Amino acid sequence: MAASATGIFHRTYQRELALRHTRAEYVRLALVVVAILATPYLVDFYWLSVVNTILIAVIGAVGLNILVGFTGQISLGQGGFLAVGAFTSALLYQRAELPAPLSIACAVIVTAGAGALFGLPALRLKGLYLAIATLASQEIIVFIARRWTFLRDGSAPLSVDRLHIGGFEISRELFEWQWYWILVTCAVLSVLAARNLFRSSLGRSFMAVRDQDIAASAMGVNVTRAKVTAFAVSSGFVGFAGALSAHYTETVTWEAFTLEVSILYLAMIIVGGLGSIAGSVYGAFFLMLLPLFLNEVLHAAGDSLPFLLGRLPAIENAVFGLVIIVFLLVEPRGLDRIWQRMKDYIRFWPFRY
Amino acid sequence: MHKHSWAFAVATASALAFTACAPGGGDTGDTGEGPIKIGIIADLTGATGDVGTPYNEGMLGYIDWLNSEGGIDGREIDATSKDYAYDVPTAERLYKEYLNDGAVAIQGWGTGDSEALMNKVAADELPFMSASYAEVLTDPAEAPYNFVVAPTYSDQMRVALNWIAEEEGAATDVAFLHSDSPFGLAPLEDGQSWIEDEGLDISMEAYAMPAGAANYVGLVSQAEQQGAKYIVIQNVSSPAAQVAKDIQAQGANIKIVCLNWCADEQFIDTAGDAAEGHILISPFAPSTAEMEGQQVIEDYLSENGSSLEKEGLHYAQGWYTMHIMAEGMREVVEAGDDLTGEAIKTALETMGPIDTGGVVGTGEVEFSEDSHRGQTGTGIYVAEGGEMKPLETGVTP
Repeated sequence: MAASATGIFHRTYQRELALRHTRAEYVRLALVVVAILATPYLVDFYWLSVVNTILIAVIGAVGLNILVGFTGQISLGQGGFLAVGAFTSALLYQRAELPAPLSIACAVIVTAGAGALFGLPALRLKGLYLAIATLASQEIIVFIARRWTFLRDGSAPLSVDRLHIGGFEISRELFEWQWYWILVTCAVLSVLAARNLFRSSLGRSFMAVRDQDIAASAMGVNVTRAKVTAFAVSSGFVGFAGALSAHYTETVTWEAFTLEVSILYLAMIIVGGLGSIAGSVYGAFFLMLLPLFLNEVLHAAGDSLPFLLGRLPAIENAVFGLVIIVFLLVEPRGLDRIWQRMKDYIRFWPFRY
Repeated sequence: MHKHSWAFAVATASALAFTACAPGGGDTGDTGEGPIKIGIIADLTGATGDVGTPYNEGMLGYIDWLNSEGGIDGREIDATSKDYAYDVPTAERLYKEYLNDGAVAIQGWGTGDSEALMNKVAADELPFMSASYAEVLTDPAEAPYNFVVAPTYSDQMRVALNWIAEEEGAATDVAFLHSDSPFGLAPLEDGQSWIEDEGLDISMEAYAMPAGAANYVGLVSQAEQQGAKYIVIQNVSSPAAQVAKDIQAQGANIKIVCLNWCADEQFIDTAGDAAEGHILISPFAPSTAEMEGQQVIEDYLSENGSSLEKEGLHYAQGWYTMHIMAEGMREVVEAGDDLTGEAIKTALETMGPIDTGGVVGTGEVEFSEDSHRGQTGTGIYVAEGGEMKPLETGVTP
């Protein structure tokens, strides 16, 4: 975790350990809480459904950032781990008739196990070599999902009954609205859990491994254990996101977990900020809203520029690539760092630093 | 720390209070006047965009024509068509957009997304027709709101296998080349059990066609090694035409049998003289078949400076799929009922046969409460002189 910003002085140890140090940070927290509470009343059900998919992406991005941003282990296996979570939860809920919270919890554990297993090559491999090893895990998992008929309902993809917990069932009219509260609770809890993970010795051992694994092991960090645990913890979050997406979309098909999904999630944490939990949230929002925003703009301009409309997916891909390149060049530490710099600018004004 | 937990408690308490009072719904349902809203999920630029584009244009053409004829009982159809580039999550998003906009019916496209949305449309009670003719969508017990207007992929496969067995008259090998997707795999199992059940003297091997491959030379030689004399293709026109070219280039003695989505003019145009002699199984009549139902399309297109020959048979396919949905709506409106998804479903199930002037299968499409299989008949064509020449029409398995 970065040291607290210049110009902020702590008088007690307790203050130093606090999650927030300034009054402005509490104001921001209050604003975020208000925004979370007000959102479902301000947007229609379509936009609420968009927010719901973003909330699932937030959990997945936080998970990936634990591995890539905080532990420095590149992973292209995100889509595969999402699939493990989704299929596990769907099968337990649908075929074994486990209650939803239990099936989701099992999915988290199973995905964590799968993550640890596929993370074993990380003990020997680094950087690009590890990226290719995790690419293999992505391909293996999706290949199994495609070919194993047990993971389908006959010839149709696995369908999941409408979510019911005890006597409560999601209603048809308020589908998005009820899911919003479930997903926002899950996302907030995941973010808080991840945030606090990096205040613990385990989280700090992850960062030590990322910064210099030899130095970390000299300091007494068990590098082997840290790497495998990082894969397990990260995959646990990802499995959680996958399980939620299974229950939310009510169908599980491998087509939603392709390599493109893995790359999209990597882009989220790069754009949001590697090694930053808040950055994962920003990145998820940014990259999930980008195609929608483009869509709206091009449809608005569509009447005068009809040739653009027909090339929408091509433009989407081009903008997607451009955004990543621009971020890597201009601000490799992503949106989170931009936000930090804006705060510093105000805090130190009129001085530069 | 103390301040923090206090804020958290307030947030939790107010969250609970907020969740207790739910908002009113979005723009749901039909008001009984003004345009009728329909959502179209189209593939214009994705993996199946080559055939998805004319299909979508056919749908929009039909709506344009219908509105100029006075719509349904004076009410126009207001259709929103958006491209989803054959991506399932995008289709799910578009579906929710249409649902929120108050659409009363959805026109979809691919097998993957139709199957993924199957439970959703049932829960939301929205009739859903798509260009996917997967077997599972015909069963009202599984997919109560999906309607399949054409013979299923499995039925097309059965017709193809019957034709091969009859043509060959002896033991023969067939290679089944399919798109590496739910669409491609849809008829495989049913085809294999058909061979067993009917005792056809055919041995069939399946090969997945990787998406975006530059050519299929490897697959063609695998089929040759297998000893296949026929290749049945379940994919869209462009890759199928590539297979035809590869067969010609290798000088292989193999005949292609294309199912619906590559059985069209595009296949012949793209493959050129490599297409000659190959067999096309199309449930929708091409312009060379000269059906009376094509006249209305021909008139509309010639007014707009085009022709059915130019637009191709998928245009007529989109046109008549939309026609069948519109006829269901007309039945509801003329009975004076509220135009809800449920009412359209009931109308389609009980209204009896819908005439398509010979364009779809044997000519009429009919659904019932027990079956949403609208047709079982298909035409068999041969590519000859750069055209689709009819061999047989209205063939059922």
